[in-house]
Amino acid sequence: MNHQTRVYQDVFEMLPSEENPSPMVRINKMNPSPEFELYAKLEWLNPFGSVKDRAAWAMLRELEEKGEVGNGRGLVEPTSGNTGISLAAMAKARGYHMRAVVPNKIPLEKKVLLKIAGAELDVVNDALCPAPGLGDGSINIAKSHAKAQAKKYAMPNQYENEQNVLAHVRTTGPEIWRQTEGKVTHLFVSLGTCGTVSGTSRFLKGKNPDIKVVAVQPTEGHDVPGLRNVSQLGVSRLFDSSLVDDILEVEFKLAYTRALELCQGEGLLAGPSSGLIYEGAREIILRDKKGFGVMIFPDNIFKYTSNMMKHIPGLATGNEA
Amino acid sequence: MANYAHPEVLVSTDWVKDNLDQPGIKLVEIDVDTKAYDAGHIPGAVGFNWQTQLQDQVRRDIIGKEAFEKLVGGSGLSPKDIVILYGDNNNWFAAYGFWLFKIYGHKDVRLMNGGRVKWLNEKDKPLTTDPPKIAPTQYKVTETHLELRAMLPEVMDISKTAKANLVDVRSPDEFSGKVIAPPGMTETAQRGGHIPGAKSVPWSTAVQQDGSFKSADELQAIYFQQKGVDRKKPTVAYCRIGERSSHTWFVLSYLLGLDNVKNYDGSWTEYGNVVAAPIEKG
Repeated sequence: MNHQTRVYQDVFEMLPSEENPSPMVRINKMNPSPEFELYAKLEWLNPFGSVKDRAAWAMLRELEEKGEVGNGRGLVEPTSGNTGISLAAMAKARGYHMRAVVPNKIPLEKKVLLKIAGAELDVVNDALCPAPGLGDGSINIAKSHAKAQAKKYAMPNQYENEQNVLAHVRTTGPEIWRQTEGKVTHLFVSLGTCGTVSGTSRFLKGKNPDIKVVAVQPTEGHDVPGLRNVSQLGVSRLFDSSLVDDILEVEFKLAYTRALELCQGEGLLAGPSSGLIYEGAREIILRDKKGFGVMIFPDNIFKYTSNMMKHIPGLATGNEA
Repeated sequence: MANYAHPEVLVSTDWVKDNLDQPGIKLVEIDVDTKAYDAGHIPGAVGFNWQTQLQDQVRRDIIGKEAFEKLVGGSGLSPKDIVILYGDNNNWFAAYGFWLFKIYGHKDVRLMNGGRVKWLNEKDKPLTTDPPKIAPTQYKVTETHLELRAMLPEVMDISKTAKANLVDVRSPDEFSGKVIAPPGMTETAQRGGHIPGAKSVPWSTAVQQDGSFKSADELQAIYFQQKGVDRKKPTVAYCRIGERSSHTWFVLSYLLGLDNVKNYDGSWTEYGNVVAAPIEKG
């Protein structure tokens, strides 16, 4: 493994770490304050395409170390896509089968990618009506598979697995601290399983308790895959409000328009959750004026072309001869 | 289960575990999406699909007597069995099944408190993908209780005269008319709002975090003191398609012991589509 020449013996050596961090890129044209440095940490440059590489690897390694996978026992996991894609690709490469239980409403691209990565797909209708504290359909279906067929499936369960947090304590946090030379004042993240926010915040606040951690969430009833409104956070045991300073609610459609602006203004092919995080950062920069901010951009736009067509007028037309 | 008016119709997950394989006790899982049943069910339980097996597949209606007999007899149930129902979505569809079993006069039907999610999340409760062993029976319905069901003309009359309580169990946004249906639902209506005179008591106010019912004291405080349901009057519960209102119908009838409660299964997808029907918003 040589991070200088970037020659690796297998794909797992490319996974991010303090020595091999995901890149951070400065926001130039779209930064509203010259006195506020703003960087985007591009998680889609991880080998399996998203921030979820970190949690997936940590969860899989733990299962391997405990001997809970192998000999015909694979994985089942509820996922809105990215964790499943990372887990399926990793699992397949290491010889385990993987069943991904996904909500019907995730973009078609993600469903197809899961199959390409080798997952058996279980699509469930997830959107009846939120029930208090009970988790949603895909989580319960995955739990059912794991319970009814324990010899066949281990369930990493990203919503409750501490490895999802520890992955970011071990990698994302130290990477940012080192990349910013300790100058970071603001961290901007979105909320999904909350592994990223809890782990990165835990590390960074350990280094400097004054760092402000800003979580950006879409408005209720949103259509941004992978994210949760605070009212939906009951399902994530990993959310720790003491590690978050501000929770901003942003109109979910801005996730799509800001993603488009990032593509066209900064050359960053960022996905809608990144667009949402950027909008949150923009609002905080206008409030705080000075600082050094890092946004964790979870994935790129390629998996969301069908969602972009739905939310950006014009993208769906003029595509035929 | 203490203090409920009819505690005998509610069983705990522990009771079900202790009575697995008991002759005369039959388990039925009722889901809107039988993927849940297929992924894993309580050993011995048969699975009913609410959409395709408990609804008439031609006209909008509950299944008729013969279809009910065929379904439950074909699933190995007999009229003397103790039938335990449980299901997904907090037992909404199991409660609908309970209502249907009562309409068709089944003597001893009970709900498993907390439904499949409570069972799923308790470590000592097994799930299986093995199909149950079924010995079909010739099930005969001997009495029907259509008085448990409210139809549109009665609901219109109640709205006009206030001679009964109308309880709208949908979410506050559906009640106010901000949304016509929860996001992603295909069954909908032309108009949003609620039936004039209805009280908003969302179904979820009756359950605890783990999906099991609140205590009788808490339920009395909610329905009678806070929401002003008049226990001296008859009551009709409704929602969007009649499944969440079955849950509240069960609460009012069996846990609180009101003696004249009906489920309006036509609910908002009927009322909100009726031309010239009066609607309140907000």
